[in-house]
Amino acid sequence: MSRAGHGAALEAPPRRSAARTGSAVALLAGALLLALATPVTGEYTQQVGFRMLEYAALGQAWNLLGGYGGLVSLGSAAFIGIGAYTTAELTNHGLPLLPGMIVSGAFAALFAALVSPALFRLRGLYFTIGTLALAEALRLFMVNYNGLGGNIGIFLTSAAPTTAGLYRLALGVAAAATGLVALLLRTRLSLALRAVRDDEDVARQLGLVSFRTKLLAFTLAAFLMGVVGGLQAGKLSQIEPYGSFGLQWTVDVVTVVLIGGLGTIGGPLLGAVFTVALAEWLNAYPSLHLAITGAIVIVVVRFAPRGLWGLLADGWARLRPERAPP
Amino acid sequence: MGLQVPSAHTLVTALVSGLLLGGLLAVTALGLSLVLGVMRLINLVHGELVVAGAYLGFVLLSKLGLDPLAGLLLVAPALALLAWPLQRLLLQPVLGAGPQGPLLVTFGLSVIAQNLFVLVFSADTRSLGRPYATAPLHLAGLEVPAIYAISFAVALLVVGGVHLLVRRTGAGREMRAAAEDPAAAAVLGVDVGRVHGRAYALAAACAGIGGVLVGLAFSFTPTTGTAYLLSGFAVVVLGGLGSVLGTLIGGIGLGVIESLGGAVFGDGYRDLVGLAVFLAFLALRPQGLLGRADR
Repeated sequence: MSRAGHGAALEAPPRRSAARTGSAVALLAGALLLALATPVTGEYTQQVGFRMLEYAALGQAWNLLGGYGGLVSLGSAAFIGIGAYTTAELTNHGLPLLPGMIVSGAFAALFAALVSPALFRLRGLYFTIGTLALAEALRLFMVNYNGLGGNIGIFLTSAAPTTAGLYRLALGVAAAATGLVALLLRTRLSLALRAVRDDEDVARQLGLVSFRTKLLAFTLAAFLMGVVGGLQAGKLSQIEPYGSFGLQWTVDVVTVVLIGGLGTIGGPLLGAVFTVALAEWLNAYPSLHLAITGAIVIVVVRFAPRGLWGLLADGWARLRPERAPP
Repeated sequence: MGLQVPSAHTLVTALVSGLLLGGLLAVTALGLSLVLGVMRLINLVHGELVVAGAYLGFVLLSKLGLDPLAGLLLVAPALALLAWPLQRLLLQPVLGAGPQGPLLVTFGLSVIAQNLFVLVFSADTRSLGRPYATAPLHLAGLEVPAIYAISFAVALLVVGGVHLLVRRTGAGREMRAAAEDPAAAAVLGVDVGRVHGRAYALAAACAGIGGVLVGLAFSFTPTTGTAYLLSGFAVVVLGGLGSVLGTLIGGIGLGVIESLGGAVFGDGYRDLVGLAVFLAFLALRPQGLLGRADR
């Protein structure tokens, strides 16, 4: 996505750090408001909010790879599934949900680190296929292997948290994911990632260690996805391989980021709100909803490579010409 | 993972049926290889084109009573006609802007197609069950489903036909030129965009034929495509990118591996064994498939 890439690169110069601090404060204030809102919002709103926040966190993780690093992964389901299974096993053995989620993230990151030497040999489009094949292989293994419940899966024996509790947990995860990615983007890693995305060979010649850069982004994304997988398990009373390792997760995450805005920090948040709201609006017609989502993805790739967030940013810049960069 | 020690007879049967099934895998992979070779594009909607062929065969059979094998003559051009405008209107405009744009467009197309299948045909499992397809065929003391042999024959025809088309015709020469060096081909007067459109249409026609064979030999659902997308990549990797005849070799290779894997580990592990070999093969070839794969 070189056009999106250039857009993001243009945004990169360290200008307006006051504006950045401002948006960070705004984000925190917004998160706090959303957290305090639970007594007045109904159960339904919290459930929808939970899904939006889950996808926002997943979107941030995927965007780190696909948006900033150019590593288009179709393997998200693998890490989400690992997270869900780890949390299910851990909470069944008495560990509370939150530490279980964190260990799940670590476990998913460990898996990512283990497969990365093989996956990173694949560049560009072949990386995409490798991740898809890996996730499908893992799903088929989980369906056939009898050690972890086979195709029936695992029943969660510990009591599930309340809807409000899950919502607040999801809010924390989404805020942490957004903050973590935003922080990373202010470090040298962000430049290294973008350099690797735009031309890996040149980046290497310039002395950037592309393997280490990619490994860090890949394991961090896997960690976040594992945490969200654990969160999802905390919501369910039973997890099974078709759902936890399902390709639908992978597809949903990619659509969230593409619609929201590839390579932008606000994109995953906007994309998550938009796609989940669309799903709710069309919830009587799930297939129609997904077909429409696919069509929106194509329109966005063609006409608005920086997604809804890019459109908003452009509109904002047009409204306030005096603040346009020199 | 119950590890049975299969008898020699079981193994030989698995070997032969895997070899024959390789033809079907080759046809379902051929379009993927063409698009990858000519357009340098990973066509994520390829699996759905295969499934579209299967559903079209299903409609022709159930509404018109047309036998799927005869229906191939309608399915292949129909898929080509469907795919050509997709390439011209949706893929061509984003083709110049890096590899991700077209990849993501095919991703969107695949999401749309899967859900249109659900809307039109429901999520039920379908198949094109024909008596001749399921009848056992006796080959030198071995018993394999007749459709395996039929699909192998169709595969030989399709792969041979496409090979001649690419190697012996003017359109094929343009395709090879556009694959080798699009800029140079354009300078020499080749309309690269149009060549890409033709390659994409040809790829879809092959996918449609593969889909009908899939429907005859197995069953399919709206989401079956992903499995054939992945097996298609395995075939392309095993057989060598851009080689039409290599696709047949890759298909046979994968067919034998999966069939033997199924015989040794149990039938549920067929696809998993295929994927594992595919991943190992990918990982052991550092620079992608032919050393120039990542551009």
